[in-house]
Amino acid sequence: MSRAVRRVVLVDDHDLFRAGVRAGLEKTVEVVGEAGSVADAVPLIKDLDPDVVLLDVHLPDGGGHAVIMQVAQERPGVKFLALSVSDAAEDVIVVIRAGARGYVTKAISGQELTDAVHRVADGDAVFSPRLAGFVLDAFRGGETTADPELDQLTPREREVLQLIARGYRYKEIAARLHLSARTVESHVSAVLRKLQLSSRHELTRWAAERRLI
Amino acid sequence: LSSFGKLRLPFVQRTAGDDRVVAGVCSGVARALDVDATFVRLTFAFLAFVSGAGIVAYLGAWALLPSPDEAQLGRRRHVSGLLLLVWAGILTLGGVGLANSLVWPLALVAAGVVLLSGRTFGLSEKRARLVAFVLIVVGIVIFAGNNTRGTASTLLAPGSVAVALLLVLAPWAWQLARERERADLAARVHDSVLQTLTLIQKDPADARRLARRQERELRSWLYPDRASAAEGTLADAVESAAAEIEELHGVRVDVVRTGNAPLDERTRALVLAAREAMANAARHSGSEEVSVFLDAGEEGISLYVRDRGAGFDLTAVAADRRGLAESIRGRMERVGGIARIESAPGAGTDVELGLRA
Repeated sequence: MSRAVRRVVLVDDHDLFRAGVRAGLEKTVEVVGEAGSVADAVPLIKDLDPDVVLLDVHLPDGGGHAVIMQVAQERPGVKFLALSVSDAAEDVIVVIRAGARGYVTKAISGQELTDAVHRVADGDAVFSPRLAGFVLDAFRGGETTADPELDQLTPREREVLQLIARGYRYKEIAARLHLSARTVESHVSAVLRKLQLSSRHELTRWAAERRLI
Repeated sequence: LSSFGKLRLPFVQRTAGDDRVVAGVCSGVARALDVDATFVRLTFAFLAFVSGAGIVAYLGAWALLPSPDEAQLGRRRHVSGLLLLVWAGILTLGGVGLANSLVWPLALVAAGVVLLSGRTFGLSEKRARLVAFVLIVVGIVIFAGNNTRGTASTLLAPGSVAVALLLVLAPWAWQLARERERADLAARVHDSVLQTLTLIQKDPADARRLARRQERELRSWLYPDRASAAEGTLADAVESAAAEIEELHGVRVDVVRTGNAPLDERTRALVLAAREAMANAARHSGSEEVSVFLDAGEEGISLYVRDRGAGFDLTAVAADRRGLAESIRGRMERVGGIARIESAPGAGTDVELGLRA
């Protein structure tokens, strides 16, 4: 399958890590710019207007969410994909809520990251197994309390998320559930939307219950 | 012209997170001062023995410090907090041995000086000056009346020793706490990170396993109660089993989990069966990554072990492969659980273990 080359800006404060990502990405993704801080990243992204920004959750002068919030208004076409070593749910949820289209851990292979960039560029969501786990956790409480504030997951969405958490790829999930790959994509995008639209209060409560904040 | 706003300590907040014990006062103060919370707690505890001053001071601070979700304190809380702190100060001075005849005049004069220095507590400037004047005069009169025949030694002897001791020891204890923290960090980096880097240079073949072990150790140290589950729980046991398999076989075992459960006979069997499934994946699949998903809810517990490796033909498994039959199926069945194994050559293996609640 031939794919259009996607232009990517890489935002991470570790030179070594940026070099590693650059080397690992395949030919269909071109790194057009790099930044190591929020202050450098914001004007750079506005200037280059890339397809996708690979964004570290932690930056020395603020979090990845700060970059999204300063850029998204002016450059609505730019998609963000969070990339982090952090294991902490609150770090991840914050960038997702700011508008990132997904979250992958830094242990991801170059090929998978390339795939993820294309998927995000096409407007889809990218869930790593860990993010799927966090999201299932976030919506779990709602099962019994049926809080109207938090849009519930449909059984199908839950099923898809569980398979992602188990380490299945989208294509494998589609085959397993007898769905088209597009349908799996749309389920995942719907979950992301619910996560981003759910009331702030609800997620705060969720985080507080897990002693995250 | 109210000056109440000025008295707020904008940088000190009570904390609400896991490091709070009662109301988050000590950890809040510790955070603002950038010292160990234990040090602040010990200080409050020590003051508590000084005629209860620590307790009163704590209550005062509780009232006076906003919690993270409070924007503005009420006037009543502000005043009561201040009064409690003043009371605590008086108790402390009395407690370390200063005679009452000195403490009360001191408090009155101090209040007068504060009023004169511009904090008018809502009074008009003229009236504030008048009140200050009265306070100072009354303070001096009481002092003079009580102590015309007293000598300096009877007033100060026991107290001054205690105060001097505090002044000398406090910065030292502070310094000690900070240095211990730094030494701890240096030791940690030396013992683990530097050692690992040295080992990797000697034997690059082992780099992956060493790096992964290092990553795990650093994570559990950096995020003690975020990244790893509470000790003695199911999730904790699953994570330890995954770590052991990584260590033994040099593959990456990623654990994702939602929910948790206590360890009992049944969940222990589940962990052992899961460990066996992980070991099989690591040994036979040839895949460098094994995914584990633990889903512990009210309806029951499911645990999945998935690899994307060689897979195998289930019907062709020799009867003597005890791993699958005994260690996984038998173990689950004995505790009333189920084990489902899906595999096909080239398609990887998926093991599902289930326990009903």
